Amino acid sequence: MLLFYKILKVGVVTEPLAPGEPDVIEVAREVETKARRLLGRAVAIREVDAGSCNGCEIEITGLTGPVYDSERFGIHFVASPRHADLLLVTGPVTRNMEVPLLKTYEATPDPKVVVAVGDCARTCGVFRGSYAVVGSVDAVIPVDVFVNGCPPEPADILRGILTALDRLPQRKGRGDGA
Amino acid sequence: MAPELLLLALSVANYAVGALAALIFRGMVGRALVAVGALVGSLGTLALGAWCLATGATLAFAAPWLPLTGLALRADGLSAFFLVVVGLGGAAASVYGFGYSAHYDGRYSLRLLGAMFNVLLLSLAIQVLADNALTFLVTWEAMSLSAYLLVLVEHDQHGTVRAANWYLAVTHAGFAALVAAFLVLAGGDMTGSFAAMRSATLPPATRNVVFLLALVGFGTKAGVIPLHVWLPMAHPVAPSHVSALLSGVVIKMGVYGLMRVALDLLGGGPPWWGGVVLGLGAVSALLGVLYALMEHDLKRLLAYHSVENVGIILLGVGAGLMFQSYGLPGLATLGFIAGLYHTLNHACFKGLLFLGAGSVLYATHTRNMEQLGGLISRMPRTAACFLVGAAAISALPPLNGFASEWLVFQTLMGGALVPHPEAAIGMAIAVAMLALTSGLAVACFVKAFGITFLALPRSAEAERAREVPTSMQVGMLVLVGMCVALGLTPFLVVPVLSRALAGLGGLPVTPIGFSLRLPFSVSGVTGEMSPLLVGVGVLLLGTLTAVVLRGVADRRLRIGDTWGCGRVGQTPRMEYTATAFAEPLRRVFAELYRPTEDLSIDFHPKSKYFVRSIAYRSEVEPWFERLLYTPLLSALRGAAVRVRQVQAGSLHLYLAYMTIALLALLVVARWSR
Repeated sequence: MLLFYKILKVGVVTEPLAPGEPDVIEVAREVETKARRLLGRAVAIREVDAGSCNGCEIEITGLTGPVYDSERFGIHFVASPRHADLLLVTGPVTRNMEVPLLKTYEATPDPKVVVAVGDCARTCGVFRGSYAVVGSVDAVIPVDVFVNGCPPEPADILRGILTALDRLPQRKGRGDGA
Repeated sequence: MAPELLLLALSVANYAVGALAALIFRGMVGRALVAVGALVGSLGTLALGAWCLATGATLAFAAPWLPLTGLALRADGLSAFFLVVVGLGGAAASVYGFGYSAHYDGRYSLRLLGAMFNVLLLSLAIQVLADNALTFLVTWEAMSLSAYLLVLVEHDQHGTVRAANWYLAVTHAGFAALVAAFLVLAGGDMTGSFAAMRSATLPPATRNVVFLLALVGFGTKAGVIPLHVWLPMAHPVAPSHVSALLSGVVIKMGVYGLMRVALDLLGGGPPWWGGVVLGLGAVSALLGVLYALMEHDLKRLLAYHSVENVGIILLGVGAGLMFQSYGLPGLATLGFIAGLYHTLNHACFKGLLFLGAGSVLYATHTRNMEQLGGLISRMPRTAACFLVGAAAISALPPLNGFASEWLVFQTLMGGALVPHPEAAIGMAIAVAMLALTSGLAVACFVKAFGITFLALPRSAEAERAREVPTSMQVGMLVLVGMCVALGLTPFLVVPVLSRALAGLGGLPVTPIGFSLRLPFSVSGVTGEMSPLLVGVGVLLLGTLTAVVLRGVADRRLRIGDTWGCGRVGQTPRMEYTATAFAEPLRRVFAELYRPTEDLSIDFHPKSKYFVRSIAYRSEVEPWFERLLYTPLLSALRGAAVRVRQVQAGSLHLYLAYMTIALLALLVVARWSR
């Protein structure tokens, strides 16, 4: 009973999209149609934090929040790379995360694509030269798409995912490699 | 000389030779002679049973010149069937025992083991042929005592002596009940012959007393809950081929005895007899599997499954008794067939599983599943055999467990035809309990096989395990073959069983064929299945899948590490444990288990973020010991202390007792004349 009372009392708290933002939804819709065409289902994403400051993670979490609610567009975050089509890697790769990142990449079934999110993933950002950092993500695993920004907005991440989906093999020629 | 007698003489002589050879020869020669004696004897027993079943020959042999009422043997269908069970279990166990007992050489008494193994087989073979009370009781006691000595072979191991003592106490309580039952049944007829008992007409109250005494007596042997406590203690500590024999064959003597007395000698009774047997069967089946789930000792787990399977057998037998008293002989025969079929099947797959567990024990020296793992790559043949046994006991088609459990289900479904609501409802409840039991059994064997054989080894012993010697593999393979054969050919087995039952307790002589259409015509209540077709289907499906995977689908295959959340090294400590596997069910059935948990963590004195060791202990409440046996034992103890006062150790007192007893006897003798 308390739950229903709370629901009634609080009401709707999500904010409307700011002007100019609706095109994000369009990008998400595109992702949905593309995933449906390529995979016949939702695109499954495994997020790997290779040593990020968690700024990118906050933006990625924003994707699944009430404003974007990416699950409704078939953008599905999964708990194991075994289930994933796409890896979303953030941060410079630290020494401790080098092997886990490689193992995650190997554990992901083919065909797969890798999206490196954030400036650190490309250039190591302010962490460049640190004794704890191995290097950028593409120094460890092959990267298909880089998403710039510190941190990138959810819309940018969505565009990155959309671009990456294009690199998945076309459905007709499934056998000819990823 | 008739072939039956010849076969009997052959098998008795070989058992005797095997037993004597154990006493005379040592080492390799002794083991070989014991195995050969037991094997040829068992094959003789098997041949005798099969011959009697096939030709309908009845063996009759009497030696009345022996003391008291003498020896009397007779083989009817029921005896012949159980001879097959004894012979089959004995043959596999004796081949296996040759290799298995090798590591006993120099550590434990091979003489005791070899001699008692043969004596046990001999008493089993004679017992099912017994045709008078004395023969039956003497061989029953010989069986119990030789089994007791066999349990005691590894006497210096922890818990063995305690287990053997429990077994001895419970089995003798049961024996006392049996003696009483036969005395009442004989009703003053001092020959104690079974023929006289069959024809005697006893008042209903006496018949009820006999039935209840027999139920207690045979129930202790069969391990029916709540008389089962000795079983999970004694079976695990015995040598493994003996465990196979104990679980596969010896406890079935309880089923044999119950059918012999209730169905044959008493000729059936009021419906509540069957109801009691049915209820005990349902409770044993369900509680047996529930306790098995909590066990992490491989052989104890199997022992609890014996309780479960005896429960399933009794479901069939109990339903048969009920249908018989309600005047539905067709269904009654089906019920008994289901019980007997499951008896034979259980002897095969439980024998196989115990032999498999014995191989694991032989290779790793531990029964604790938490110390095992990874054995499938080290002992592939043992693993394959154990897997077949596990699939059979889980009642997966097309193996034998499925065929007989299906029959039990069908019989119980027939309860809908009984015109008494209480019986019909009771059987419906039994169906539900059996269904739950089957499901839980699958879960339990996923645990038993998965934790023991798959993943990484959890201890150095498991790491070093090697495949067992050929003789042990042969012992297991024989039973694997039987599991498959009995599963695929119920259409051959069922008519034979119906012939074996014909004539017992007024059951119809007409043999039931295996259409598995229920033998009554009610529209919509039919059920058919053909394990052979299921087997072909499984085979076809497997081939089809393989073809599709190889030919049609993407051929590129990568074999990678097991996903371990990206950790650098995979260690056995990251594996699923048996405790963890059973945890959800322990929570669901917490009301039954009442688990006690004890978690102690040893932190580093400087910081609690560094844990030096974690100890976790959890136990399941032993209900039966606490509620039934502890009060019983303390009452017995109290009585014994009181009796102790009479036996004061004074010679004068004893002389006085004797005088008083003599005088009392004289007075009684005078009075009664």
